[in-house]
Amino acid sequence: MPLIKLQSSDGEVFQVDFDIAKASVTIKTMVEDLGLEDDDEEIVPLPNVNAGILKKVIQWATYHKDDPPPADDDEGREKRTDDISSWDADFLKVDQGTLFELILAANYLDIKGLLDVTCKTVANMIKGKTPEEIRKTFNIKNDFTAAEEDQVRKENEWCEEK
Amino acid sequence: MDIISSDVWGQLALEASQVYIDDGTGGPAKSPYAGTTIEKMPDRVLLNIFSYLSHKQICSMSRVCKKWRTIAYNTSLWQTVSLRPEISGLHVTSLEFLLSLINMRFGPSLRYIELPIELITHTVLHELANRCPNLTHMLLDFSTAMQLHDFSELQAFPTKLKYLCVCLSEVIFMEGFMRKIYNFINGLEILHLIGTYEKVEEEEEEIYEVINVHKLKSATPNLRVINLYGINFVDDSHIDAFSSNCIQLECLAVNYCSKVTGSTMKTLFQRSKRLKCVLMNQTNLISEYLMQVEWEKSSIQELDITGTDLSTECLIDMLVRIPNLKFLSAGQLNGFNDTVLSAFMEQGNVRNLIALNLDYSDNLSDEGLYKFLSRYGHQLQGLSLAGMPHITDQLWNTVLPVLNNIIIMVMGTQERLSGNVLVDQLMDGIATNCPRLERLELKWDPDNLRFSDKSQKAIDIFRVKCLKLKCLVLSDGRYYEIVKANFERADRLTVVRTTTCCSVSNYYLLQNYKDLIFN
Repeated sequence: MPLIKLQSSDGEVFQVDFDIAKASVTIKTMVEDLGLEDDDEEIVPLPNVNAGILKKVIQWATYHKDDPPPADDDEGREKRTDDISSWDADFLKVDQGTLFELILAANYLDIKGLLDVTCKTVANMIKGKTPEEIRKTFNIKNDFTAAEEDQVRKENEWCEEK
Repeated sequence: MDIISSDVWGQLALEASQVYIDDGTGGPAKSPYAGTTIEKMPDRVLLNIFSYLSHKQICSMSRVCKKWRTIAYNTSLWQTVSLRPEISGLHVTSLEFLLSLINMRFGPSLRYIELPIELITHTVLHELANRCPNLTHMLLDFSTAMQLHDFSELQAFPTKLKYLCVCLSEVIFMEGFMRKIYNFINGLEILHLIGTYEKVEEEEEEIYEVINVHKLKSATPNLRVINLYGINFVDDSHIDAFSSNCIQLECLAVNYCSKVTGSTMKTLFQRSKRLKCVLMNQTNLISEYLMQVEWEKSSIQELDITGTDLSTECLIDMLVRIPNLKFLSAGQLNGFNDTVLSAFMEQGNVRNLIALNLDYSDNLSDEGLYKFLSRYGHQLQGLSLAGMPHITDQLWNTVLPVLNNIIIMVMGTQERLSGNVLVDQLMDGIATNCPRLERLELKWDPDNLRFSDKSQKAIDIFRVKCLKLKCLVLSDGRYYEIVKANFERADRLTVVRTTTCCSVSNYYLLQNYKDLIFN
């Protein structure tokens, strides 16, 4: 398979093996729909991903290029977050901003494996924390009025600790 | 970004420090993406994140902010809900809360629900029927019941159920409830009735027939899978009743129903032409009844007769006549000896066999097993030969070279042996020959496992060669600690377990395995 060229939002061009780039359903569809396979001069524009993040995404896809295709979400399958591989865990030792940029990129490029592992990482950051701790961790503003807060607490108090 | 000034939480210092990354020039630099926060995530992504959290945590997250409340209330997070707290389900303290949950969270997304006795009331069932049109799987746990709620006003019940599991109590008669739901369950394909097998044997008590099987079968003509597990009153007449009305029947399990003798098996097979799987573990089968069955005309592929008293003559008769056996579980059978095995080989059809379990059938010799396995080992996906002290690592080492397709293996005995098991060599053999292995159990007493300073290397090789391994069960002891530590260093945290909390079985290879899971 030939190399294809990906252009980031800030204009940088990356040459990538199509076998690696096709981890992204978005890129794969674009290349196939536009018939770019035979045209190595054409550039695939990715207006939603900047160069720094695109570089990381390519690094991830290169490492995982031989992975079996991710299974479709089985109904009832137990979702676990303790199965992140050590390479991925190292790869995702980044600041929150980068982590969320990676999630946005994985979402836009439609790379299920990367989206799942980044979402798991965030879920692990949430686990075991109280709402107040969550707000501090992620810098979220509490936009409930006192009355609303009371209401939502009531709606959910049945599952508080016994 | 002023999170640092508001740092009052211990762990926040750590999170905040991640906002800065080393830019390679020495001093810390602010991340170029510090402006990208969780609040910029689209709902789809937040939903994905939430899907990894427990329902309890999701409820608690609804208090973070308005957006998170909307996500937490999204019905797609509530497809499978257990309300049995003792089996890691949610603990719902009052009926009102359950009713508001059904209303506000479950809605049309709900597909599977588990309800404990105290939450099975006619109002709850009405709400489920009205609000959850896609509910197809339901488990009703009456096992701790002292008395039933009053169902005289029950007018509605989920109508699309394909799977119903009822955990019976020993003393509560179900008919008052069942009578009300017969009209709603004729689409049912999978029925589980779970008895109280584990609790009995304390003293001889009177046995009550707490559910009317004869009425139930008339209401459920479309059953494909029936599992009657550990029910003290179930006998051959109940099997007969089901077979008279369920022509779709593919799989019948009566494990631990000790009154079953097999007297209606002949009619069962005559009526249910599609019956592929019969599981009769720990029943009181009588040889002459089974010899009357027209095995040669049956479609049977999967058979479990573990822990029964079938004679050698009967076993030979069955195995020679069954045309297409794929799965045989015949453990704890004194009658299963070398003669049976060689008759099966010489006169029966072994060509399609993929799973074999002969645990504790210790009238088999290692020689007989060797002969069988060297001929058919290559086609086996599951092989379980536990609990036989004379089947040692020697036999395994000689047959491993042909077990190239094996997915599940169980070996060893808890009895103390005079000789030791050279476990490093065994692991080497498995690593070299069994690339498809997913589940492995070694039951040997830890004191009988001999390993050396080369163990780490043997485990390393095993770990990287058997990449599909999901579950490795060992007796708790030093070797277990070594293997567990080895896998943990490689980030495979959940693979290694002890025999006290986990056990491996060929049942994963059954075609209807998914339908047969309960609890």
